[in-house]
Amino acid sequence: MARKKEKLIPSKYIPDVGSSIETVEGQDYLIVNDAMYTFYRRSRGEFSAFFLALRDEKKLLGCSCTACGLVRVPPFLTHCPECNFASTELIEVEQVGVMNSTPPITYFATALFQDMAPYGRGRVIFRGADTAMSVNLYTTTGILVPGIISKGTEVKLVFRDKRNGDVKDVFCVPTSELTPDQINKKGLLESEIDWESPVEPKMPKAMKKDVALFEKVFKGIKTIVEEMNRNERARKDIVGWKRNVLVKTRGGQFAVMIDDGDIRVEKKGVRSPDFVMVCENPNTLLDGLAYRGAITDSVINKKLWISKNMEFTTIFKLDRMARSVARSRKG
Amino acid sequence: MAKRVGIVGAAVTPFRSSWTEKTYYELAQMATREAVKDAQIPIQDVDAAFYAIYNDIFERTAIPEHAIHGLCGMQNKFGIRITTGGATGAYTMSAAHAYLAAGRYKTALVLGVEKATDCFDFSSMSATPEVIKSIGWSGDSFFEQAIGWSASDSYAEVVLGYMDEHPGDLKPEITAAISAQLSQQVRDNPYAQRQFDQVTAEEVLNSRLVAYPFRELEICVYSEGAAALILAEEETAKAISRSSGQPVVWITGLGESNEHSFAGKNHKDMRRIMSDYHASHGAYEMAGIQDPTHSIDIIELHDAFVHQLEITMAEFGLVPLGRADALIEEGLMTPGGRYLVNPCGGLIYCGHAVGASNIMSAWSARNELIKRGLKTALVHGTGSTVAQYTACLIFEHE
Repeated sequence: MARKKEKLIPSKYIPDVGSSIETVEGQDYLIVNDAMYTFYRRSRGEFSAFFLALRDEKKLLGCSCTACGLVRVPPFLTHCPECNFASTELIEVEQVGVMNSTPPITYFATALFQDMAPYGRGRVIFRGADTAMSVNLYTTTGILVPGIISKGTEVKLVFRDKRNGDVKDVFCVPTSELTPDQINKKGLLESEIDWESPVEPKMPKAMKKDVALFEKVFKGIKTIVEEMNRNERARKDIVGWKRNVLVKTRGGQFAVMIDDGDIRVEKKGVRSPDFVMVCENPNTLLDGLAYRGAITDSVINKKLWISKNMEFTTIFKLDRMARSVARSRKG
Repeated sequence: MAKRVGIVGAAVTPFRSSWTEKTYYELAQMATREAVKDAQIPIQDVDAAFYAIYNDIFERTAIPEHAIHGLCGMQNKFGIRITTGGATGAYTMSAAHAYLAAGRYKTALVLGVEKATDCFDFSSMSATPEVIKSIGWSGDSFFEQAIGWSASDSYAEVVLGYMDEHPGDLKPEITAAISAQLSQQVRDNPYAQRQFDQVTAEEVLNSRLVAYPFRELEICVYSEGAAALILAEEETAKAISRSSGQPVVWITGLGESNEHSFAGKNHKDMRRIMSDYHASHGAYEMAGIQDPTHSIDIIELHDAFVHQLEITMAEFGLVPLGRADALIEEGLMTPGGRYLVNPCGGLIYCGHAVGASNIMSAWSARNELIKRGLKTALVHGTGSTVAQYTACLIFEHE
């Protein structure tokens, strides 16, 4: 059941030994690449039974207080503090539950979870439990957006095919997206679900007016991008960043090239783009770059499609640049 | 009987997104130098030090206060560090008050300092993902860290729990209006990270979603900086005040509360921030405040998120639960309204140098009470997962 051999810290996160100089008001300051790291061989202690049940038996355990009967899932204690520390006993609970409250959705993730964003994390009260367990939440229909899962939504616990004995071994999806057999199955695996894979949206055939709109909007985009390129604050937002992006709209396509502080747009294709953006109406992107609404929100609202979720990082940087220009305009 | 304790000196360093020019050693000393100067006493007259430093990872050392003790002139004296997440500064003031009230010491330095943006994510070539990752180590290490716990998503859980219960409250146009108002108030704070970043409500609504339901301009910004107070017991405080010519601002009420970190029956109620309720009402009781809506003039509230600011004001009893939007709709906190909320711009615009933030809020509350000739202020700190920790203090200016 162990995952394929992988490093605890993926090499992409590990910087090279190095240093640099940063000058502030004519004075040089030494900046040194550094890290503080500690490795663990850490016992799961009293939680071992819970994690082993997830990993090996695809069971969900809780603990029941022998005095008050309160069932806590996960079983995060061995004695109940409400009952003068009466002992608790492990019990199995059902793998269907309801959301305790509407879950947040993280778009701008920490450095550790950028591969996973956007993701939902919320608390589920499984049948037979009195407390809520924190889990990741997914939809089988693509990117999780507000409104799909909310307080009271019934969800099903799903097990990863490869499990390591930790809380990442499981997640939940709405039961409304599953068949009755899947809902009733104990130990449902992720591979037993049909996941809608991201497919590039098909663009309707371009009409004359679409091409005219594209030509007009592209001029606007080019003007804003040139302003970004002249703006010190905006340039700082993309220091060290390099991306070639192909943007497809109904009336035409163009390339956005980001290269360590520089940003350019050109009406041309890109042979191997880092990712593709698709928006039927080019004004969607123009508005975002002009700080008339976030590009992030356009992705969430499905007005703009990106080929890799990971590239939310680039989208954030473009949003950031739009704000930087807007701030500079105010003086 | 407990002694009265008051503030006789206060100072902050500028809060900045990055202090390339200074380490946290120097930031700590800067704030200390200015605080004793404000009190017009030598550091030798300070008996004990209470350090507010949130996160070992930010300072890149596990006992970050050990070096600053000597650097701040406290050699061979009492020194203790408090760390309680975002509420670190407020809890540190509470601890210092307890020692002085008990008569252990006559004077104390309360010093908050924090670095943050030394943390750097080399994969995105920016600081913020690494800063919030460092804070992410504060989540439950068995059940939550691995599935993406973050400060934003854990506070969002509570906000969404409240919105489930009160679907008509915390309207986007109101949270945006509050953020815009705070951005105006920060103009008068020369130490703020975003002193000249005035935004409109429309710009707030147009800023990107970071973690649903929070937008970028509704979230506090991470800062580096320091803040310090000099506290003294009653007789010493009066003597210092006579010498400095500055009035004493008394700490007349304190309350603290930490909720359960797990949710469900008999555990954390996600619809409420009970820690805010218990801590504020405990502070009112100690200060003899019967009706806070009449007594409180200034609120320096730890606004990690605008939505949480609104809920916290309701938990304080200053606006009804479920009607927090009245803060704007009924003008309760708009200019000239009943409450002056975060005149410093709050943590959203002044900045959040975590250990120093609540002490900066105290510095602001003390200044505003004296400057405006008002009587009572409430200072607040919130922290940990799901807004679990709160400490509140009541300041009174005679």
